[in-house]
Amino acid sequence: MSAAAGPVVRLLEPLIVPAVFDFWAQKVNPTFSWERCLARVVARHMEARDTVTLELQANRHFPGFRAGQHLNLSVEVDGVRLTRCYSPVTPPSDDRRFAVTVRREPGGRVSGYLVDHVRPGDVIEVGPGGAFGELLPNAPVPPGPWLLVAGGSGITPLWSMAQWLLAERPDTEVHLFYWVRQRQDLCFQSGLLALRARHPNLTVTTVLTGDSPELDGELQGRPQAHHFAALAARLSECHARVCGSREFVASVTSLLSESVADLASEAFSRPQPGPAQGHVSVTLARSGRTVSVPAGVSLLEGLEQAGLSPAYGCRRGICNTCACHKQAGATEGLVDGRLNSEAGEVRLCISAPRSDIALEL
Amino acid sequence: MESVSKSRPMTPAQLDQFAAELDAVREEVMSSLGERDARYIRRVFAAVRYTEAAGRILIYCWFLPPLWALGVLLLGLSKILDNMELGHNVIHGQYDWMNDPYLKGANWEWDIVGTADNWRLTHNYKHHTYTNIKGMDDDIGYGLLRLFPEQRWRPFYLFQPVVALLFALLFEWGVAIQELRLGRLSRGAAARAEIREKFQPVKRKMRRQIIKDYLIFPLLGGPLFLPVLVGNMLANIIRSLWTYMIIFCGHFTADVDVFPKSVLKSESRGQWYARQVRGSGNLRGSKLFHILSGNLSHQIEHHLFPDMPANRYAEVAPRVQEICEKYGIHYNSGRLSRQFGQVLWRILRYSLPSRPGRLDQVRLTAE
Repeated sequence: MSAAAGPVVRLLEPLIVPAVFDFWAQKVNPTFSWERCLARVVARHMEARDTVTLELQANRHFPGFRAGQHLNLSVEVDGVRLTRCYSPVTPPSDDRRFAVTVRREPGGRVSGYLVDHVRPGDVIEVGPGGAFGELLPNAPVPPGPWLLVAGGSGITPLWSMAQWLLAERPDTEVHLFYWVRQRQDLCFQSGLLALRARHPNLTVTTVLTGDSPELDGELQGRPQAHHFAALAARLSECHARVCGSREFVASVTSLLSESVADLASEAFSRPQPGPAQGHVSVTLARSGRTVSVPAGVSLLEGLEQAGLSPAYGCRRGICNTCACHKQAGATEGLVDGRLNSEAGEVRLCISAPRSDIALEL
Repeated sequence: MESVSKSRPMTPAQLDQFAAELDAVREEVMSSLGERDARYIRRVFAAVRYTEAAGRILIYCWFLPPLWALGVLLLGLSKILDNMELGHNVIHGQYDWMNDPYLKGANWEWDIVGTADNWRLTHNYKHHTYTNIKGMDDDIGYGLLRLFPEQRWRPFYLFQPVVALLFALLFEWGVAIQELRLGRLSRGAAARAEIREKFQPVKRKMRRQIIKDYLIFPLLGGPLFLPVLVGNMLANIIRSLWTYMIIFCGHFTADVDVFPKSVLKSESRGQWYARQVRGSGNLRGSKLFHILSGNLSHQIEHHLFPDMPANRYAEVAPRVQEICEKYGIHYNSGRLSRQFGQVLWRILRYSLPSRPGRLDQVRLTAE
């Protein structure tokens, strides 16, 4: 229950079983919940090729976000609750309404579900946890100029930031560079046009790696110094923010980090199972500790070797005593050999880490 | 009297094959879990809610006795479902794969006086790991009853028929204090202090249940306080009697084996599987009966695969039986009347002295 809970809620709390409360409350409204943030899909439209924008209306547990931050969204696909993080593409507002834009990843279970199956009226969970990400500091933001560099889906937090920066300071200088493979991958084109019409201090440069440039302001090729030539001397005053795939962020950062005033970046990546050798680091969310444990050995043994004593029982996967929530990371089931990169319950005694892990322990 | 097992010991190679065949059955089901299993457990959850609401409302109809009685039955039914097909199975972590925070084994709590935490220890860990090992599985007679000749006779057991009946009526309370092992009360101050400490969470849970069933809901009935209180009490007793009957049929029928602690010495997966089958007994019945028993009617399958969603036991049972028969392991199964009759026989027979059984003759592995 949030600290802001009113007196009635606090009085009732010891009597309430959240699951039972939600069961009955959701007969009235499917987004009612005692403590979980649920959001109703109020609209959807195709934003670009394989890409959908979902407008969401959250319930009163909405954690809020700052421009450029990300939220975890959870949906149930074939009986399994899966979590991915997405950046709201709208600037923060007070009515708990926001939108996310999702591109279908090859083989992506959540993105495929959101793009192909979610319809207005459906309910999506926001969480676990609140918003995260530090593209914009939680402090007064510098006046600019801003240089926003997006690669593909990396546009999403930067688009939210561009709208917010220009709403806060209408005359701030914002230079958006937006890399995509082909023109049909471009998102937010009408929104960008409208924003440019209102703010001549916003420049948008589209860079295509697959198509050849035809329109004004279009360039071609993977990130190189000449793409930023138009900024000339202004570059050294820019606060640069970069978002995209790991490779994209790495190449842009190496191009710009010496020539801009400051640079912050975020790259999206999913945990990839590593080899069953060497060591990985395990972050324990409750105690705030991080320890190093061997990969390929059960997490229970690894944590014990690191001097911790998690609860356990049978040590062979029967009793569920050591079940623990894995927030992130890839594990291998030692009984069935299955790899699992999703957040969810793991039994420490029969799961070995195959990447860095975050546990609720 | 000697323990004569209906199962024959296997060679280590046979045990490995036996385990591999059972693992294959398990793997097939576990890799096919999905939407239909999620829908199933949510329907059970909904059934608990609707029967509870209907039961609690009808119990206020004291002036129409048939409706009041129906209310008692529905509330009893709700508690049975909550206890068995929902709570017991969720607490095993059978639905952890769904990653639904409301269906997690590790933090599930249920409508019963015992705490889920104690249950996780005595049942999930001790009973399921050390099934039917004398001295390690407290469920053998619950420290109160003598059900096997392998347990030493004491004069107290002469009262067993009465004790067993009282235990049945108060089963949820008995299970609630099982982990306290009150037999240690006479063993000095240290044991008493430990029991007091362990009792604290149990006391809180008992208080919560008493306030709910015997104070708040009766008070909501105003002048009907007493009929509501009695109705709630009867519903709890119905649940206790039913769960007692089902659970006792799981491990105390005539043909189950008990084992000495020595079987644990470097126990292989095959030996563990064999012990689970030989220590358990199934009940035959309709689909509704299986649901009401929390699928503990598939006790054998449950003990082989305690983390498999219980709604899948019926479909794996024929294959498990086939595998057991192939390897000469007795697959103990019968109607409720037959199986519970055997339980009653054990309660009566072993209240009287008998020659201690020869635990050292029980073998999982052929020499």
